[in-house]
Amino acid sequence: MALIRTENLTKIYGTGEAAVVALDHVNIAVEKGEFLAVMGPSGCGKSTLLHLVGGLDRPTEGRVLLDGRDLTSLRDDDLAALRRRRIGFIFQFYNLIPVLTALENAALPLLLDGVKPAEAHRRAAEWLTRLGMGDRLHHRPDQLSGGQQQRVAIARALVAEPDLILADEPTGNLDSRAGDEIAALLRRISSEWGRTILLVTHDSRVAAHADRILFMKDGRIIDETRLTGTGEEQAQALRERMEAL
Amino acid sequence: MRVQLTMALRYLRGRKLRTALTTLAVVFGVAVLFGMNALLPTMLQAFRQTVLATMGKVDLVFTSVTDGPFPADRVEAVRRLEEIAEATGSLRRNVLLPPEVASRAGVNAVTLVGVEPEVAARLRHYPLKEGRFLNAGDGNAAVISKGLAEKLALAVGDRLTLPSATGTTDLEVVGILDVPSIPGVEEVYIPLPVAQRLLGIPGQINVIEAVVKPGVDRDEVKKAALAALGDLFKAEPPEMGEELIASLRMGEVAFALFGVMALAIGAFIILNTFRTVVVERRHDLGMLRAVGASRRAVVGLMLAESLLQGLLGTAAGLAAGYGLAWVLLLTVKSVMQHYLRMEAIAPIITLPNLLTATILGIVATLAGGLWPALSARRVTPLEALRPVVPGAYERAAKKRGIVGAVLVVLAALALVTGNFNLTALGSLLFLVGLVLVAPVLVSPLARLFGRLLALIFAREGRLAEGNLARQPNRAAVTASALMVGLAMVLALAGMVTSIFDGFMSYIDHSLRADFLLMPASLVLGGGNVGAGPELVEEVREVPGVLGATTLRLGTAAVNGLTIQVIGVDPRTYPQLSGLVFRYGDPEEAFAALGRERAMIVNGVFAAQRGVRVGDVLTLQTPAGEREYRVVGVGSDYLNAKLVTAYISHANLERDFYQTADLLVMVEAAEDADMAAVQARLEKIVQKYPSFVLTEWRSFREEQERVFGQSVSLFNVIGVMFALPSLLAMVNTLTINVMERTREIGVLRAVGSTRRQIRRMVLAESLLLGALGTAFGILAGLWLGYVLVQGMNVSGFVIPYYFPYTGILVAVAVGLLIGVGAAVVPARRAARLDVVAALRYE
Ligand SMILES: Nc1ncnc2c1ncn2[C@@H]1O[C@H](COP(=O)(O)OP(=O)(O)O)[C@@H](O)[C@H]1O
Ligand SMILES: [Mg+2]
Repeated sequence: MALIRTENLTKIYGTGEAAVVALDHVNIAVEKGEFLAVMGPSGCGKSTLLHLVGGLDRPTEGRVLLDGRDLTSLRDDDLAALRRRRIGFIFQFYNLIPVLTALENAALPLLLDGVKPAEAHRRAAEWLTRLGMGDRLHHRPDQLSGGQQQRVAIARALVAEPDLILADEPTGNLDSRAGDEIAALLRRISSEWGRTILLVTHDSRVAAHADRILFMKDGRIIDETRLTGTGEEQAQALRERMEAL
Repeated sequence: MRVQLTMALRYLRGRKLRTALTTLAVVFGVAVLFGMNALLPTMLQAFRQTVLATMGKVDLVFTSVTDGPFPADRVEAVRRLEEIAEATGSLRRNVLLPPEVASRAGVNAVTLVGVEPEVAARLRHYPLKEGRFLNAGDGNAAVISKGLAEKLALAVGDRLTLPSATGTTDLEVVGILDVPSIPGVEEVYIPLPVAQRLLGIPGQINVIEAVVKPGVDRDEVKKAALAALGDLFKAEPPEMGEELIASLRMGEVAFALFGVMALAIGAFIILNTFRTVVVERRHDLGMLRAVGASRRAVVGLMLAESLLQGLLGTAAGLAAGYGLAWVLLLTVKSVMQHYLRMEAIAPIITLPNLLTATILGIVATLAGGLWPALSARRVTPLEALRPVVPGAYERAAKKRGIVGAVLVVLAALALVTGNFNLTALGSLLFLVGLVLVAPVLVSPLARLFGRLLALIFAREGRLAEGNLARQPNRAAVTASALMVGLAMVLALAGMVTSIFDGFMSYIDHSLRADFLLMPASLVLGGGNVGAGPELVEEVREVPGVLGATTLRLGTAAVNGLTIQVIGVDPRTYPQLSGLVFRYGDPEEAFAALGRERAMIVNGVFAAQRGVRVGDVLTLQTPAGEREYRVVGVGSDYLNAKLVTAYISHANLERDFYQTADLLVMVEAAEDADMAAVQARLEKIVQKYPSFVLTEWRSFREEQERVFGQSVSLFNVIGVMFALPSLLAMVNTLTINVMERTREIGVLRAVGSTRRQIRRMVLAESLLLGALGTAFGILAGLWLGYVLVQGMNVSGFVIPYYFPYTGILVAVAVGLLIGVGAAVVPARRAARLDVVAALRYE
């Protein structure tokens, strides 16, 4: 059964003349344990899709179903609780709280959920260590490199043991080496820890790590492909398809 | 929640200057509230200790309703009562010291207390420093307080000479009491018969003091005793000096008000700061929401931050307040010791004061933080994911502006009605209205003042004006803080000016005779020994004297309220002096006084009793109940504050048996040799030790000087109001500079000099100052008018005088604050490192 399903998901910004249709009746389904990437050029509506799926924004039309439950009908507090417990976000700009340490940032969803600080910090430290940040627990974000900050953000996304990870251009702000490392991490999250991942990106090298790829243009899903091969050739193939679009 | 506290703490630490400035706002309010109110109980206690030390264990005190003397055997009526353990009669009168003694010792009068020696010693405790207390067989013996002994340089065995009915009487000091005297009163204890002889009223007393048996209800006994004594007696509360306590209480209220005002300004500052904080932290807040923080959690974070500052500021404020109380105490100590002979040891911290200051401090902070915190609810998670849009323009809320404008119009209508309650309400509406209207007015006013400013700051002025218009709400809140401060300053100035000018006009109208022969204490009551008709006769015969008129005194009661009755000569008094009339025709009124039982009542009387011209009141007089018709409402200078009625000398003699002159006003001829007249009068006065001769002009100057001193106290209070306003401005400017760090970096990068940046901030500060001053002057004039009207309503009639100087002071203070507030922020802005500023987020 699909963990996430969208039904005619539509988002229109503004009204009248100035109206922008960012999403146009999008129907997608992400299976449990699947690593799905959505690719498309800048401005095609990828972020909008992710925000709606994550309950950060409300659709103009259509529904988002998480485990068969309609997110669009939930109250704000329930959505917040859902984001704390069942969904982990990874953003392009890390978005860490500047005054908190790596450990505290990673523990934030647990702390907000009322978990005892000691327990929250223990679990956050565990994830940070798994992600290779064990020796940077007490650094503040401005004392970390971009790649390191993104690892902290990933630890934060995973700390509450959510089913679903949503990642929006997680490598968009990184150099290619750090980007590759983060992409490989995402792959590990899927295969080693069995999380469901919905990734949106315009970078074919990152998308190449996914199980399945949807292509998006002007707010619509226009194509789909399942990946079997590995590494460079796949990325190359994807790049060509993107250009064709 | 702990994580919120952690974050709050870290955020606060991250912006040290801002945190310090904001916290200081709370510190100030709490310090004023706490410190001032720690001082007053201290003074009250010092006062009580002084009074209680001499009050001993006396439970009940009875006097005649007219406060006059009565036969000594009335004590028996009380003594006979079952529940009374002990009762004694005494005769208490103020006696003026001969002028040469008075001027040497700095004491004008003593309170002569004639007591029954053995009984008195059983009712009260008289701790002796030297010598002994009075004995039954004593003749002209006296026991005096150590304070008086020091002043008059008297020791046991020395002689004390007092004026008396028979000329003067010599007393031998037999004992010196080791008690602090009652403030302003020096007691001289002598045997009762001696006192009666000295005052010329044999067999009379004027106070009965009693102690009740243990375990009985004092109020019951009091009723029984009053029943036994009859109609003409009243019970005094055993505590004296109520008037002083009452004015200290008033002070308490006033200081509490100051503290609350200062705190309100503090709340404004917090409000401004946190509004910026929310804007500045939109990104972080959105992030928190994205990772699952509920709206409540976000509000909680902001409130935690303001709460932390509230706690910090309140704690520091309590400490600062205690220090303030100490400093003030040390300042007033010498005054207290010198004039009141009270010893205040240390500020007293009462639990209610501590709690009030603490709670109000925290509540004010939370109140200031609440609105911004609630606005943080509206930050959506998406906010975190959007790129930062720098320097978003705020729009002034038109709707609130309209509500404010309506309030201002209503307030103006209330003022026009002339009804006091409406006017008072109006002043509040006006303040609230101005706060609401302020944001809408910021842009046009900024443009107006900007044009003026452009004369001095050609380019920077324009930038500053734009900067203000960009954040009209913040500018408005800051201007409002300044407004509240300046309004208070100006209102006080208005009131003080009016009181000052009012009193002076009272002096000019009701005491305008060239020479005054008056009791040195300046109070007509208090049992001053008056003069017989020979005095004024002699005065009238002095060459160059055109005329003389006298005031006499009696006491009466109206429905149980004791009033002072002043006797005037209806013919000569209005010619030489006169009253300041509020209702009634002066000529008619004085004519009526001479014709019938008629009286002119003063403003306090009219207000307290709701008396109008034409009413007929029943006065309890020593001769029984008498009906007097009210023919006017008016006051003179000396009696403006006391409940007073003016009647004719003839009626005072008929109904009050009073013929002694207590004050003589002398008018000299136009062409008279003033020095010669004065010399002659001086000679006459020497024979009457209770009188001093005062030349009108020097009297007026003296009064003016005394007033001037109290005015300087108001200046200090004014500064207290100006300080938090200054803080508010510094705070806003600092925020503005910080918020525009990147912009300032760009300005510097494209070639602005440090000087230009500094001038830009200064211009902005001056603009804000001008706005606040403009609002403050409007609100302050209004408030001042209301305060003066309030005094008039309570019967203390003074005309409203427009505080021209007050306005000048307000403008000066406003500009000063404008310049002063810019110093630190301007330096900060000018010193910004360009590269760092460009990277600033
Ligand atoms: N808040 C908004 N208001 C108006 N238009 C928006 C808003 N957010 C996004 N859009 C528009 O919607 C379209 C899709 O945006 P987005 O989902 O961010 O694209 P992508 O992430 O694929 O680059 C774009 O044309 C963008 O300009
Ligand atoms: Mg995007």
